[in-house]
Amino acid sequence: MSPLNRREFLQTSSASLALAVLGLSGKADGAAANKYPSIRIGNIRDLKTGEPVQFNYPDKSSPCNVVMLNGNAVGGIGPFSNVVAFSALCPHMGCPVNYSNGRFVCGCHYSMFDAAKNGQTYQGLASQWLAQVSLRLDKASGNIYAEGIEGLVYGRIGNLNIS
Amino acid sequence: MSLFTRKESLPIPPKDAERYTTVCQYCSAGCGYNVYVWPVGRNGSAKNNAFGIDLSMQSPMLSGHSYTETMHNVITRKNGISYNLAIVPAKESRINKGNYSVRGGTNAIAAWSDTGYTKKRLKQPLLKKGDSFAAISWTDAVEIIATLTKASIDRYGADSIAMKFYDHGSSGLGFEDNWAAGKLFLSGIRTNHLSIHNRPAYNSEVWGTRERGMHELNYDVDDARLADTVVLWGANAYEAATILYTEHIMPNLQGASMDEKKSAFDTGEPAAEGRLIVIDPRKNASVTVAQAIAGGRVLHIRPNLGTDWILANAIARIAWENGWYDKAFLEKRTDMKTFEEYKAKSLQLAKPLNDLLAEAEKITGVSRKEMEQAAEWIAKPKSGGFRARTLTIYEKGIIWNMKNYDQVAAIAQLSVLTANIGRPGTGCGREGGHQEGYVRPPAPTPGSIYAGGPPKNVDKFLTGGGGKIYWVGATDPYLSTPNSQFFRKVLKKRSATLLDHIDHGGVPSDPKELVARVLDAFEKTDGLFMVVQDIYMTQTGNDAMLILPAAGWGEAADTSINCHSRLLRIYDKFMDAPGEALPDWKILSMVGMKLRELYTAAGNKEMADRFSDMDWKSDEEVFLAGSREFGDNRVPETEEAKLSPECYKGVTHQILRKLGNTGIQTPVRVDPSTGKLVGTKRRYKYSFATTDGRFRWYGTDPWSGYPPEVAKYVGNPKYPYWFTTGRSQLVWQTMYHDRYLPEKYFALPLPYIEVHPEDAAHLGIRGGDMVEVFNEEGSSIALVYVNDACKPGLVFGIMYHAKGSMNHLTSSYTDPKTTMPWYKGTKVGIRPYHGTPDEAIRTTSLLPNNNFS
Ligand code: SF4
Ligand code: FES
Repeated sequence: MSPLNRREFLQTSSASLALAVLGLSGKADGAAANKYPSIRIGNIRDLKTGEPVQFNYPDKSSPCNVVMLNGNAVGGIGPFSNVVAFSALCPHMGCPVNYSNGRFVCGCHYSMFDAAKNGQTYQGLASQWLAQVSLRLDKASGNIYAEGIEGLVYGRIGNLNIS
Repeated sequence: MSLFTRKESLPIPPKDAERYTTVCQYCSAGCGYNVYVWPVGRNGSAKNNAFGIDLSMQSPMLSGHSYTETMHNVITRKNGISYNLAIVPAKESRINKGNYSVRGGTNAIAAWSDTGYTKKRLKQPLLKKGDSFAAISWTDAVEIIATLTKASIDRYGADSIAMKFYDHGSSGLGFEDNWAAGKLFLSGIRTNHLSIHNRPAYNSEVWGTRERGMHELNYDVDDARLADTVVLWGANAYEAATILYTEHIMPNLQGASMDEKKSAFDTGEPAAEGRLIVIDPRKNASVTVAQAIAGGRVLHIRPNLGTDWILANAIARIAWENGWYDKAFLEKRTDMKTFEEYKAKSLQLAKPLNDLLAEAEKITGVSRKEMEQAAEWIAKPKSGGFRARTLTIYEKGIIWNMKNYDQVAAIAQLSVLTANIGRPGTGCGREGGHQEGYVRPPAPTPGSIYAGGPPKNVDKFLTGGGGKIYWVGATDPYLSTPNSQFFRKVLKKRSATLLDHIDHGGVPSDPKELVARVLDAFEKTDGLFMVVQDIYMTQTGNDAMLILPAAGWGEAADTSINCHSRLLRIYDKFMDAPGEALPDWKILSMVGMKLRELYTAAGNKEMADRFSDMDWKSDEEVFLAGSREFGDNRVPETEEAKLSPECYKGVTHQILRKLGNTGIQTPVRVDPSTGKLVGTKRRYKYSFATTDGRFRWYGTDPWSGYPPEVAKYVGNPKYPYWFTTGRSQLVWQTMYHDRYLPEKYFALPLPYIEVHPEDAAHLGIRGGDMVEVFNEEGSSIALVYVNDACKPGLVFGIMYHAKGSMNHLTSSYTDPKTTMPWYKGTKVGIRPYHGTPDEAIRTTSLLPNNNFS
């Protein structure tokens, strides 16, 4: 929690950090109290393997990543069950996590979460696993919808309890 | 979809929730935590709550307040009412500053809950009846043990009773339980067959430094942020003392402690971003995280197994040759008579430098260049002639190495030669495993062979057919002892012999009848009566005759110190123990008092007196009783070295409750000028713990190869791989809690080994395959993870796991000077094992845990 940690972040993960900061004051858009909204977050045809795309869910202050993996995954959708989405906030102390090589890595204390294995902490400090976003694929259009979250988004008392 | 049910919101503690302070139950770091308890249904609100934080907002990163899925549970107290329990990292603790690890973050979900994961706690005393156990009363259980103990002492002598108990703090144990165990076994029973939870004898793991006059807990956690160089020697801090690494060593590497350095250093002394030396055969996460932060300031040295003391001496010799020592310090603070022995045997000054280093290169596999680099970072004075500040932290890679005594002594002496002790940013000591909390009457064996030892090897005594009673407390030797397959085999047989002898027409429930039959078995067979005292059933417990349910962390008030600051704090009671489970000290007290009663009735006053002073009424009474062992602590700061390292005389539970997460550092003194209790931040600034205050040198042994127990494998093609063991970041000890927590058992479903990709290719195995690891000691089945932490030819295994142990493979070798095992080195063969662990592979991650890029 040194100041330098934060500075380093700004350098190393500016994209996701900016997203997190932007979201801080966000009001839940579309999030009816105690009910997850269904939000279109992209189209499966636009996803490239290993290249995460960011979105906010269930509200503006909760950045998430959707990514197409190399192989099938717990909770994966699509013909190869390989499209998954997770909260972008590290469940350890809330720093942004970055995707590479099948996992999300946190630059603060180096927790690593396996994207194919339910966002499990396989190394690092987070005793809670990464929160995974439930996805639905509309086969005809290829649209992907976020429709819920399994696990608690960091820094909240409830996923839908942010004013 | 999810592998297990996740939480999406948490109950909020109301302003009037009960509050307690505690310390993590797990590792040596000893992170501070705050506990909140409130009745189910009486929640606070987002704006009005016990945290004092506005919970209606998304909290920013690194705010220091974390409350996650694993930090909440629902518990039931003895009054039958259900309560919410929240255990969150303490922002105000200077140890963790709100940070926490993957282990400590589960303190709440690991608490006993009859609706949660931890239902399987032991709740009543159990007696073995044939194939299963039946509940019995505490009265009967205590009568059985006490009567059998008395009869064994009277007929076969006190040495017929063997024990294996913790000597550490945390894990629901502390000064209270240690004092009680000491009173019963050391003052009362007085057996010589004592052994400590993780080893076969009753010994210090670090006599090599203690007998020099330097206790192993001598630095402060601040020193990890102040040091120019931190050395982690056989100590994987990122994974085993996580917060020491991430809150203290990491900021130093990142340069975030520069301001602190400037104010702590001497005027004009240069301060720079920290450097890290990791001496470890494995390129583990402590190495690779540091490389990711500050590649150029990280030196990773990978000695051959068992050779570290040769390396330490070679580095010391380089420092000597360069004059990187302080003559005035040596002459004033150390014993120059024994220094001659050190110069002759450890520095080997008679041998030309080039010869010595060439020899060291050959033995250790470390290049001269690396040794020189290490010597420079550890010892070379800074510009302006200021002495270097190096903090050296060692742990099981050294303690559980071949030649325990010489390994520890060599590292301690390197630090003292280079004057790296007693100043900010210096120190030389253990990383620690558990936290500490040792206070006991004197042990029967005071030290190594140089000081009245060595202590007896209790494992060998038991496997050789010795002993009648074996009482195991809070440890599972079937998993944790060296050469455990053999140990298990013999103890299983001896327990079965006893059971078979007493089981005619069933095992009697009447204590008198039972005792009579057991005594008959003692007379006629080599049967062993095992007692296991624990919070869960264990593998050893399955073969025991009697199981005693103990209270866990948070179920009694305990006190312990952490290892990196000797910070004494209270681990308060915030919930009730399940069923009839009792704190360890209470169980030991009941048995002691019963023995006193039995000896009094038999008219044996002398024996009755040995069990006196055990009728404590509260946890605080035991704590205070223990404190009298420490002697007079009214000394000035300059005489702190005279105090027992864990001395807390004058401290009460009440004082500690007031101090909360702040605590007080042992040794605690009564300051002669103010009469106030004061802690000790850092040790040995003025003198060492010897009669004349001078550090005692020791001349280490030369290299003489591997002991026969391991040498027999060298060159044998059946056992081509060197094998070492250690811990995983994710789980604690035998996974006694973790085996029930889905975040843990899904991630680490099976005992495992880590293999280098080249070896994996050669063996034709991949990550996720199963193998059998074997040698002449035993065999273990393991799941394979492939990564480059080990060099080709070396294989790493988790030391033990809920489902199996790698100690089947470790040899029965112990250091003849200390009786410490060499857990960390042997040789093995590996063969693919048929059958695929489908379920395990579905859940566990096969990604390399040492690659962060
Ligand atoms: S680092 Fe150790 S003491 Fe701190 S939370 Fe983790 S296990 Fe507990
Ligand atoms: S915030 Fe600590 S590892 Fe992510």
